Amino acid sequence: MDLPGKGIFRGMALTLQKFFEPKVTVQYPEEQHDGGPKGRGRLILLYDEYGALKCETCFQCAQACPIEIIDMGGVDTKGRYHVHWGPPEQYAERREDSALRRSGRPVPDQSFVAYEAIDTAPLDRILADVDYDPRQMLTILERTQEAYGYLPIAAFRHISSTTGAWYAEVHGIAAALEHLRVEPPGGHVVGICRCPNCTLMGGGRLREALEAELETVIGGTSPDGRVRLVAESCHGESRLRPHLTVDGADQDDTTPAGATSLARRLRGHSRGRAQA
Amino acid sequence: MSVLARPWSRLTPAGKVVLPLLGLLVFLTLALLVGFATGLIPGLIRFVGDLLGANIGIVRFVVAASAILLMSVPTAFVIIYMELKVIALMNLRLGPNRVGPWGSLHSIVHGLKVLGKEDFTPTGVDVPVFTLAPAVTFLAPVLGLLVLPFAPGLLGIDMNLALLYFFAVSGLSVLGLMMAGWSSFNKYSLLGGLRAAAQIISYEIPLTLAVVGVIMLAGTMSLNQIVMNQSGSILDWYMFKQPLGFVIFFIAATAEGNRTPFDLTEADSELVAGFATEYSGMRFGFFFFAEYVGVFILSALTTVLFLGGWNAPFDIDPVLNALGIRFDLALDLARLDVGLLFLLALGPVVGTLLIALPIWMLRSDWSFLKSLVIGFILLNVLLAAAVGVWLALSFEAVVGLGWFLVKTYFFVFLFVWMRATLPRVRIDQLMGFAWKWMLPASLVNLFVTALAIIVVSEVR
Repeated sequence: MDLPGKGIFRGMALTLQKFFEPKVTVQYPEEQHDGGPKGRGRLILLYDEYGALKCETCFQCAQACPIEIIDMGGVDTKGRYHVHWGPPEQYAERREDSALRRSGRPVPDQSFVAYEAIDTAPLDRILADVDYDPRQMLTILERTQEAYGYLPIAAFRHISSTTGAWYAEVHGIAAALEHLRVEPPGGHVVGICRCPNCTLMGGGRLREALEAELETVIGGTSPDGRVRLVAESCHGESRLRPHLTVDGADQDDTTPAGATSLARRLRGHSRGRAQA
Repeated sequence: MSVLARPWSRLTPAGKVVLPLLGLLVFLTLALLVGFATGLIPGLIRFVGDLLGANIGIVRFVVAASAILLMSVPTAFVIIYMELKVIALMNLRLGPNRVGPWGSLHSIVHGLKVLGKEDFTPTGVDVPVFTLAPAVTFLAPVLGLLVLPFAPGLLGIDMNLALLYFFAVSGLSVLGLMMAGWSSFNKYSLLGGLRAAAQIISYEIPLTLAVVGVIMLAGTMSLNQIVMNQSGSILDWYMFKQPLGFVIFFIAATAEGNRTPFDLTEADSELVAGFATEYSGMRFGFFFFAEYVGVFILSALTTVLFLGGWNAPFDIDPVLNALGIRFDLALDLARLDVGLLFLLALGPVVGTLLIALPIWMLRSDWSFLKSLVIGFILLNVLLAAAVGVWLALSFEAVVGLGWFLVKTYFFVFLFVWMRATLPRVRIDQLMGFAWKWMLPASLVNLFVTALAIIVVSEVR
C-alpha cells in the first residue's frame, strides 16, 4: 500500500541525492573537452571555383571512416564505371561483391546504362555560337535537339563541362521541358488535335482508339519504340473531321476503326495482344 | 580673489584633497581643545546621554527599526543566492559562479542591476496605489522581524502580544499584493492579486489555529517567553509536544510565503509573475526582497515556535567537562604589559610569514608576493575564526544567535529544497486542501491539546 505523500518524500530524497552528485556542466571557454577518440569533426564536401564538387569518388574518406558511416556512390574519374561504397545490407548485394567494392577498385554496376559517345562537332559549333554561356541553356538544348534529334546523355556531360553549369542543372532543364526529349525519337510520329472543334467532330474517340492501340498516351512512345503520339494543333482548319497527321501528312480517314488499323500498320503488327 | 585662486590652481589633484582635510583636522583639534577647556563638550555629552536615557523606548525603537531594515536586504541577498545555488546543484548544474568566490556576490550584482533599471509606470495605472504597493509588501515581513527573538536579549521589543502583532503585520502583505494587482490595470496582475488574497487568507486560518496550541501550552503570546519555555532539553521543544501543529504550521507557512508547491500567486510560467507583471526596476525588486524576507521570517517563526529558538539542542558543557577540556577565557590583555606592544607590532608580521613561507616553498610557481598576500588573507581568516570561537564561548547571545540562524537556515534550505522538487498544485486543489484538510486538522489539534492540558492538570 502506498501511503499518501510518499511520492513527496521520495522526490525530496532524489533531489537531495542529486545535490551531492558531481555536476555535468562544462565551463566551455575555460574547459574544453576532447572529442571522442574516433571523432573526426564535421565532414563536408568541397567545391571548386566553378561550383563543381571536388569529390573524385576516390573512396579514401569511406575507407578511413572509423565507424563506417560514409556511404557513397558516383562515376569514377574517367567516366567509365558507376561505383559505390557502402554496407552490403543496404544494396542487397552479395558479400563478395561487397568485398570487391570495399577493396577500393572500381566495379561495374548491373544497373548502370553504358555511356554512348557522340560526335561533338555539331554541339561544339552550337556552343561556340552562344559563346559557351550557361545562361543560354535553353537555346543550347533546343539547338542540340535539332542537331541530334534528341538530347544524348553525352551531350549533357559535354555541355556541363564546357559551360561550367552543373550536370544536374542541365539535366533538370531538359527534363522539365516537354518539347525536349532525352530518348531517341521513334520511327513515326502520329499527331492529333485536342481543340474543342476536333473533339466535337469525334476527336475524343479517335484519341482513345490511338492510345489503346499504341499502348501509350499523348507525349509518349509505344513500347516497341516505333510510334510516337504527340499533340498538334489544327489551327482551326479542320471543319468536318478531327485533325490527324502521320509524319506531318494530313490523314483523311479519321474514324476510330481507321485509326486503329493505321496504328497497327505503323507498328508493323508487332503488338502482343493482336497476335494472341 | 586671485590671492587664493592662484596658489589653489598650482596644487596637484592630491593636494586639493589633502589641504582641505588638513584644514578640517586643524579646525577640529582647535574646537575640541577649546570645548574641553571650557567644559562645553563634556556638558553636551552628558546632556545628550540624559536625553537618550530619558527616552530609552524611542531610542530602542529607532535602533531596532534601523537594524532590521539594514539586515533585511543582506538576508534577502543570502537567501536569493542560496536559492540559485541550491536549485542549480540539485539540477546537476553549477549555478552562479562568476562573481566572488563560488558566485557568492552574485545577488549583490543582481541588486545593483535591479537598481540600475528603468522604473516604469505604465499608462492607466492607479499611480499612488501602484507606487505604494511594493513598499507595503516589503514592509510587512520586515516589521515582523521587530518582535523575533534572535538570541537571549537580542530582540527589538519583548511585546506580550508579539505573536498577535506578528500575524497582524504579516497579514498586511496581502494588502500590498492586492494593491499591486488592482492598481496595475492588467488582467493578469488582477488574477495574481486575487489568487494571492484568496490563498493567503485561506491559509492564514490553519496557520493561526496551529499556533493556538503552542500558545495554550506556553500560556503566553510573547515570543521571547515561548522560547524561554522551551529551554532545557531538546524534548522540551514544542515540535515534540505539537507534532500535528508543527506540520500544519509548516505547510500553511509555505502557502503564506508563496513558495512552491503553493506559489500560485506568482506562477512564473502561467501568470507572467502575477501581481508583479507591470512592475520593473527596484519596485519589482521590492516584491522580490519581500518574498525572500518572508521566507526568512517564516523559517524564523517556525524555529521560535517549534524548535526552541536560540536554545541549543544539547548542552555542551557537561561533554566538555567529561572530556576534561576547560577554556579559561578570562583574557586579561593588560597582564601582558610591554609584551602587548610587541604582540601588536610583530604578531601580524610573524603570523603572515609563518603561513606564507610554507606556501611559498611548496608552490614553486607562485611569486613571494603572492604567497605573502595569501598568507595575510589566511591569517585574517584564522584570526576571525579565533575571535568567533572566543565570542561564542564568552557570550551567551552569540551561541544563541548561532543556533537560531542554523535552525532558521535549515528551514530556508527546506523551502528551497521543496522548490527544487515539487511541482505546483492546481488552484482548486490548493483551496480544497486548505479548507477540507488543514482547517479540520488544526481544529482537531486544538481540541486534543486542550484536552491533554486538562487531563495532565487533573492527574497532577
